Amino acid sequence: MPKPIRYLLFAVVFALLAYNSVYFRKLDEVKAGAAAFDAAGYAEDFWGKKLIPGLSKAVDLNALTAQLKTEKDKAFEQYSHALGIGNIRYFLVKGQGIVADVSENEVSVKLIGAGEGAGNVRIATEYIFGNAVRDASGAIDINAFTNSMDFNNVSAEINELIREKVVPPFKSKVKKGDRVTFHGAIELNREHLQLNNIEIIPVSLQIEQP
Amino acid sequence: MHYRIALFGILFGLGWIGCKTKESKDEPKKIAIVVSTLNNPWFVFLAQKAESKAKQLGYESKIFDSQNNTAQETDHFDNAIASGYDAILFNPTDADGSIVNVKNAAAAGVPVFCMDREVNANGAATSQILSDSYSGCVAIGKYFVETLNKKGKYVEILGMVGDNNTWNRSKGFHSVVDFYPGLKMVAQQSADFDRNKAMEVMESILQAHPDIDGVFCGNDAMAMGAYQALVAAGKADRVKVFGFDGAEDVVKSIRDGKIMATGMQFPEVMAQTAATFADEYFKGKRDFPGKMPVAVELVKKDNVENYAAYGEKE
Repeated sequence: MPKPIRYLLFAVVFALLAYNSVYFRKLDEVKAGAAAFDAAGYAEDFWGKKLIPGLSKAVDLNALTAQLKTEKDKAFEQYSHALGIGNIRYFLVKGQGIVADVSENEVSVKLIGAGEGAGNVRIATEYIFGNAVRDASGAIDINAFTNSMDFNNVSAEINELIREKVVPPFKSKVKKGDRVTFHGAIELNREHLQLNNIEIIPVSLQIEQP
Repeated sequence: MHYRIALFGILFGLGWIGCKTKESKDEPKKIAIVVSTLNNPWFVFLAQKAESKAKQLGYESKIFDSQNNTAQETDHFDNAIASGYDAILFNPTDADGSIVNVKNAAAAGVPVFCMDREVNANGAATSQILSDSYSGCVAIGKYFVETLNKKGKYVEILGMVGDNNTWNRSKGFHSVVDFYPGLKMVAQQSADFDRNKAMEVMESILQAHPDIDGVFCGNDAMAMGAYQALVAAGKADRVKVFGFDGAEDVVKSIRDGKIMATGMQFPEVMAQTAATFADEYFKGKRDFPGKMPVAVELVKKDNVENYAAYGEKE
């Protein structure tokens, strides 16, 4: 084989190898590929397959507060969940009450069967934030997430579902004196327990007109 | 041929001695505690709590100070691995720069448990025990919106822009505040988690925006700096300041009504969990969560009596 052709062949092979060895991709694309977790899809799935079917396991709020007053540790052990560690724990609760007040940010409810002297609970209709609903059911395993921002986003998407599905039909109809049946999540601090200011992040709300 | 037999003999002998030394080791296991800096009392507290928990569990332990220098940190890791430490409780200097140290330790069979700060590599450390900064700042964000009544101008002072905690805190805060179009961020600047820098940044921002209503700072040192600038400008009564950490002076300032709120972190819980995980690892447990968030609690005027600095019990 003549020398120029041999060199040309080498050059072609080299060029081909070099071309196929190096790839250029936009950094944005690579980053987007790494963060492909679909938090909205996960939240939808969790809502339909785990949270709503799991509402039957919610503890009655009156029974829970009564137990928290007498045997706090046992109540936390039995009913609370949290993805992390620390004093903040979440409970999936249910109950019935009479609407005492409707304000811009919440609906105040007097629980039926709570006994004399029991304070009202607040059903949040404006500030739907935090991890209460994600964590309360205990159905999500932290080890399923490799990236902490993913499970933060799951909380945000679950809260978005509440803002879209649960709050508007309730808020548009509710008025003082209505009888309300609720399922939802509450946050309590194990070390500094406060039972006179309970806020419920709603998952399901039904109004029964008197 | 004789040379080969001699070489084989020497290698075999060395191997045997090595095995023998490992076998006959019955002294307590050793835990190294490598901390980013001991110049900051927060990290001193973290290191001391990790050390005392390790000792309480029956292990020998020693604290290494990386002085915020990844090269120094690498030396500490090399030393710890060479001196036969069995686990490392680690507070990284740099989320990216520290990855190689964690990987080297893992390759040498030494488990690493990160405390408070993370490395940006999934699976490199056996477990990372971290403050849930994002959720803590969601709580601060909610309180911020409530106290400003959903409207006003505000400033955000960020920590070090290369630090993950800076952005987790900022994202948590904005995940709430950005829902309210009445709240307008007029400036967002970094002050590197430093009190004096935050004071300077706040002073210059006040020149351009004298009519702000709130300031959210990525840590308590910066909140104190911003507050100082507001006092000097005669605006401390009108502008509401929010921090994050649970430092002593801010807890006191919340009590005095000078700072609105902070997110209380629990270094003791992180340190003790890391030491306990190491203990469980020695006993054979292997399925640790990649990341273990530690709850951050909102401290404000009506619950400040429950809290002392760094989440210690009163």
